[in-house]
Amino acid sequence: MKYILMMNGKKADFERYAQWSKEDLQANVVFMRAFSKELKDSGAFVATEGLAWPSEAKLVRAGKDGEPVTDGVFPESKEFLAGYWIIDVDSPAQAYKIAARVSQAPGPGGKPGNLPIEVRQVLSSHADLGL
Amino acid sequence: MKYILLMSGTQSGVQGYHAWSQKDVEAHMAVLRAINKELADSGEFVATQGLTGPGEALTVRGEKNGLPITDGVFPESKEFLLGYWIVDVATLERACAIAGRISAAPGPGNVPTNMPIEVRRFANHG
Repeated sequence: MKYILMMNGKKADFERYAQWSKEDLQANVVFMRAFSKELKDSGAFVATEGLAWPSEAKLVRAGKDGEPVTDGVFPESKEFLAGYWIIDVDSPAQAYKIAARVSQAPGPGGKPGNLPIEVRQVLSSHADLGL
Repeated sequence: MKYILLMSGTQSGVQGYHAWSQKDVEAHMAVLRAINKELADSGEFVATQGLTGPGEALTVRGEKNGLPITDGVFPESKEFLLGYWIVDVATLERACAIAGRISAAPGPGNVPTNMPIEVRRFANHG
């Protein structure tokens, strides 16, 4: 079964992250690289991506004439996706264990970040939506 | 440039979809399939994925001993990712145009859902 592990944050969280020292950022990147390698070695890895910053985010709706109407203003409380991992595992417990591991990625001063990771099972097909 | 088009909704918003008639669901899915096919034909399609409902969502943190602590309680205002498309396009405008097409997909009574679609660029790897 496939799961997506999502790291989300508000704009303020991204701004704090931008102020991490070079050393702290480096330690975090080293952890993330090792984490991805572990996933690949264990066969659980499907995909991972980091997203560009929320300042570039756009919200698009269809206009009456079918043209896209683009907006870049979001409420402060808005949670932005920062990045994700897609994993293929045998059980939900295994997905939670992997999420817990990435939650422990080091933050400022090398302390575990203890970031909340949103864990969602992905559908094998749209028919699974049960609509 | 790769962009991810995110379709999100609150828990109450998602419950609304379950009230759609079978005919409305089929019309909606037919448009989404046509968009996917167009993107595949133009070489812009990378991936699409639907997620299981918010009722199954959990937040996980690691405890000191490394064990996962799970939490399934979210604020009512929480926006859950429902699904996404990843496209490889020449410009942000093109990504927004595709998002607009998805937003225009029909809902009940063949009226466009007008769902907001969040457009986000993938960070460059380096």
